[in-house]
Amino acid sequence: MTTSLTDRYLAATLRSVPTARREEIADELRASIADMVDGRTAEGVDAATAEREVLTELGNPAELAARYADRRLQLIGPTYYLAWQRLMIGLLSTIPAIIGVLMGVLEATVSDNAGGAIGKGIVAAFNVAVQIAFWVTLIFAIMERVGTPLNRPEWSVDQLPDEPVERDVSLTDVCASIVFLVLLIAALPWQHFQTVVGDGVRLPLLDPALWSFWLPALLVVLVASIGLEVAKYRARRWTWPLVAVNAALNLAYAVPVIWLLTNDRLFNPDFVARFAWLRDGGIDTVARISIVVIVATTLWDVVDSALKARRAAR
Amino acid sequence: MGSDDVLRTHLQELRRGTVVVASLVALRQPGYGYALLQRLTGHGFPVDANTLYPLLRRLEEQGLLTSEWNTEESRPRKFYRTSEAGEQVLDRLLTDLAAVQTSLTALIEGAPR
Repeated sequence: MTTSLTDRYLAATLRSVPTARREEIADELRASIADMVDGRTAEGVDAATAEREVLTELGNPAELAARYADRRLQLIGPTYYLAWQRLMIGLLSTIPAIIGVLMGVLEATVSDNAGGAIGKGIVAAFNVAVQIAFWVTLIFAIMERVGTPLNRPEWSVDQLPDEPVERDVSLTDVCASIVFLVLLIAALPWQHFQTVVGDGVRLPLLDPALWSFWLPALLVVLVASIGLEVAKYRARRWTWPLVAVNAALNLAYAVPVIWLLTNDRLFNPDFVARFAWLRDGGIDTVARISIVVIVATTLWDVVDSALKARRAAR
Repeated sequence: MGSDDVLRTHLQELRRGTVVVASLVALRQPGYGYALLQRLTGHGFPVDANTLYPLLRRLEEQGLLTSEWNTEESRPRKFYRTSEAGEQVLDRLLTDLAAVQTSLTALIEGAPR
C-alpha cells in the first residue's frame, strides 16, 4: 500500500501532539480532510489536485499540531521577557568584562606577549558571554513551558524613579571606561617586567627611576579615575563637581606625562639606546605625537563632560 | 506595513472572538467540523480550517461543547454540540456583544462629526 499525502500529513501533524489524544485527533482530522477533498471534487477538481490544495490550506503540520496542543510558538513570551531581558543585561554588562580583564591580566603576568594576553582576555569574555546568554535563555525557555510563576511583586507607582531624568551615563560606557583604566593600570607594572626587546632580553619601556615617585603617582590618579566613573554612574549624569574632579584628574595625568615627555625623562634610556631609529631622533617624534594625542584627548574629555553637565542641568 | 496590512490586522482582531460566538450558536444543532466551516462561511464568518478544527477541540476541553461520534454515514465523523455550560457562556457573550454594539451606536450618535 502506498502512503497517501494525507497519511503523511497526518503523521507529520500527530508527531508533536500529546499521545493520549493522538488517535482521536487523527480520526477526526482524517474525516475533515476527506470532507474537504469531497467538497472540492464535487466542484470538478480532480482528486489528486484537491488533496494537495486541502493540505496546503491546512498549512504547516507543525503549526497545526501546536494549535491542537495549545502550545506557544515562542521561546520566551511576554510574561517572562522583561525579567529575562533585565537579567541578561545585568549579567552581560558586568561578568564577561570582569572575567576578560582578570584572564588578560593573569595571562600578562605569566607570558611575554601583550597581544596574546589581550586576545586571551577577549576570548574569555566572549566565551563567558555566550555561556551566560545560553543558560539564562534556556532556563527562561523552560520556565515558559512549565509555567513557573515569577513571584514578582505587582508593579506600583511607588517604583517610579524619583526624577524623570534619563540616565545620561550608561552602564556600558562606565564599564568600558573602567576596563580601559584597569588595563592601563596593569600596563604600568607589566611594561616594567615584560617588555621584550628581542632575543629574550627584557627592558622596561619607561624609565625605572620614575618608580620612585611619578609612576606610583600616576597609578593613584588612575585608581581615582575608576572612583570617578563609579561616582558618575551613581549620580546618573555629569554634575559640575564631577566635571571639576574629572578636569583635575585629567590634568593630574596629562601635565606630568607631558612634562616627562618634553624633558626626555619618560622613556627608559637603555630601551631607547637599543633601537637605532629611536636613538637618531625617533624618540622626539614619538614624544611629539604623544603630546599632541594627550592634549587632544584631555581637552576633548573635559569639554565633553562640561557639555553633558550643562545639558543635564537644563 | 501598507495600509492594507493595517486594515487586515484590525479586521482580524475584531473578528477573532466572534468565531467562538458563531460556533456556539451554530452548534446548537449538532454538526461536524467541515459542515460547520461551510455554514459559518455561508453566514459571513470566513474562518480558516486550521483555526476552526483546533478551536472545536479546545471548546470541547473547556466543556462548552460536547461531542459524539456518528458512524452511521459513509465515514465516521465527530459531531459537536453546544453544552449546557456552553449555552451559559454564549448567553454572556451575546449580551456583551450587544452591549458593545449599543455603546458604539451611542458613541457614534453622540459624537460631533
